[in-house]
Amino acid sequence: MIQTEKLNKIYKQGKLKVKAVNNVNLKISDGEFTAIVGPSGSGKTTLLNCIGGLDKPTNGKVTIDGEVISSYPSNKMIKFRLNNIGFVFQAYNLIPVLSAKENIEMIMLMQGYDKQEREQRSNDLLNEVGMGNMSKRRPAQLSGGQQQRVAVARALASKPKFILADEPTANLDSISTAKLLDIMSRLNKQENITFIFSSHDQRVIDRARRVITLEDGKIITDKKK
Amino acid sequence: MNLITLIKIGWRNIWRSRKRSLVVIFSIILGLYGGLIIASLMITLNDQRMNTAIKTYLADIQIHDKKFSEEYSLKDTIYNIQSIEEKLKSDKRVKSYSKRTVINGMLSNATGSYGVNVLGINPENEIKVTSVYNKIIEGDYFTSKRPNTMIVGKKLADKLNLQIRSKVVIAFQDINGDITSLLFRVEGVFKSGNSMFDDNNVFVKNNSIFSNLPDLKGYHEIPILTTNSNLTEVLKSDLQNISNSLDVKSWDDIAVELAYANKMISSFLYIFMLIVLCGLSFGIINTMLMAILERKKEIGMLMSIGMTKWYIFLMICFETIFLSLVAIPFGILISYITVDYFSVQGIDLSIVESGLENFGIGTVLYLKLPSEYYFNLGLLVILISFISSIFPAIRAMKINPVEATKSI
Ligand SMILES: Nc1ncnc2c1ncn2[C@@H]1O[C@H](COP(=O)(O)OP(=O)(O)OP(=O)(O)O)[C@@H](O)[C@H]1O
Ligand SMILES: [Mg+2]
Repeated sequence: MIQTEKLNKIYKQGKLKVKAVNNVNLKISDGEFTAIVGPSGSGKTTLLNCIGGLDKPTNGKVTIDGEVISSYPSNKMIKFRLNNIGFVFQAYNLIPVLSAKENIEMIMLMQGYDKQEREQRSNDLLNEVGMGNMSKRRPAQLSGGQQQRVAVARALASKPKFILADEPTANLDSISTAKLLDIMSRLNKQENITFIFSSHDQRVIDRARRVITLEDGKIITDKKK
Repeated sequence: MNLITLIKIGWRNIWRSRKRSLVVIFSIILGLYGGLIIASLMITLNDQRMNTAIKTYLADIQIHDKKFSEEYSLKDTIYNIQSIEEKLKSDKRVKSYSKRTVINGMLSNATGSYGVNVLGINPENEIKVTSVYNKIIEGDYFTSKRPNTMIVGKKLADKLNLQIRSKVVIAFQDINGDITSLLFRVEGVFKSGNSMFDDNNVFVKNNSIFSNLPDLKGYHEIPILTTNSNLTEVLKSDLQNISNSLDVKSWDDIAVELAYANKMISSFLYIFMLIVLCGLSFGIINTMLMAILERKKEIGMLMSIGMTKWYIFLMICFETIFLSLVAIPFGILISYITVDYFSVQGIDLSIVESGLENFGIGTVLYLKLPSEYYFNLGLLVILISFISSIFPAIRAMKINPVEATKSI
């Protein structure tokens, strides 16, 4: 379970203080499929970064399965991310010089899986996201949607507790968006993986089972379907 | 995470911006080439200077009487020369030797007068030790039946306006301390390759000396060639043990400036090459910083998904070192080919000949370079590129993983 308590992130711009995240208290249980929505600048990215430990909150804390990760030193945090959190970004998800399959294998290499298991799992995952026949291609030889599907497979490869995705469909057309969401929601149901993603796109938001709306860094609505 | 993956990523990364990497690789190749060729030139120049000196007049070892070495007085001939000669004949390390008389005097004619070293030689024996006979550019090497003939250096000949058969007078103190003068005719002019030597030395036959100076009963100088230059030092001390009254010197004792240059040259060269490579390292640092700046998001992403800072550091180091690892074989190869080609073909320096001859270097340079220079310089390049990688790698480590989430 992910929990935030009185989470604040304040950016100073000269004399001006921007409360990008303002006193957010949030609980996300295992197996959720949750969207974080809100206008541009409402703090979606900042909140996800704090939850994923990419950014440190100004105050408040983030707890994941009882561990207060917001106080981890940076290298410990990196290791924690490796083993517990999968990331899908809007772009630049993959290492350009490695093939789709190598990108997936790399994260398992970092975790110390043996060769046979890496081979097996990366093939399974690529098939799972419908990319089994393009495993040897490098990112530049894939479309944006295909890249995002590989990124989801990569995020899953490390067997994380949950996956954070910041606007994973922002660069995709509607067909690719639908495909990616199908994959995400199937994985969510079949493998009980928690997904937390942000989006502007109403079609994406419609697919979520819980929608948290931010405005000026504050949660203004939190609806479960 | 294993190193092989990191190496694979690093290696592929350097080919991402092919042009930029090639520029760095090319400049490393050039730096290496420049360094090695200059090293080769310096070493060759120095070696040739040394060899010219040894072959034309120094020989490997010279024996004098102790007193002669101090005062250059005619009367201080080598004592008990027969026993020394016996030793030299039986010693396998001795390739050849000769006997010389040495007179310090003034050489003059109508044009002027100069202080010179008159080396009295036995022409047939001297051939086996030194190569002046080979360096005659005008006239002959003691083929005339005339008694008092002389061979002079080109430089001196020009200064005194000497031609073949010109007359010159040598004035000097004889054994009793009286000023004596002898008349000689020029039979040949030599050019040893060292114009300092050519300026100060003339050769005459021992016979001419002995017939003109009946009081003189011995020789002043025994130049010796060894079969192998490594034996010089041991032979020198063995010869010195024959008698305390002898002064046995190896060529590096006699020509101190030559020996010093020889000793200093390698440290000088390494310092020089280090400076060249330091210049190169700025190019490497700049390129790597650019590469990192371009890949901020990607590096942020790697940190986000769990690559530790240490691995980021290593990845950048590998990239930098790979650039030099690609360059080194090429740099060494083209240097080797160049040196090898000119070691046979020679570089003709006749355009600048007169300038170089003042240093005692022949006109054609046959390049050479000991193999340890290739090896050490290659190692130095790797070391320098590793050092150059540290700064960019630290910069990469400091990139914030949040970069990965920024859409622009
Ligand atoms: N590094 C920063 N320095 C200063 N202010 C920042 C920084 N990052 C974000 N902000 C500010 O924090 C607020 C929240 O930004 P955030 O990126 O979280 O918004 P968002 O909801 O993700 O917007 P978008 O939908 O456009 O991605 C904004 O007002 C933004 O200007
Ligand atoms: Mg955002």
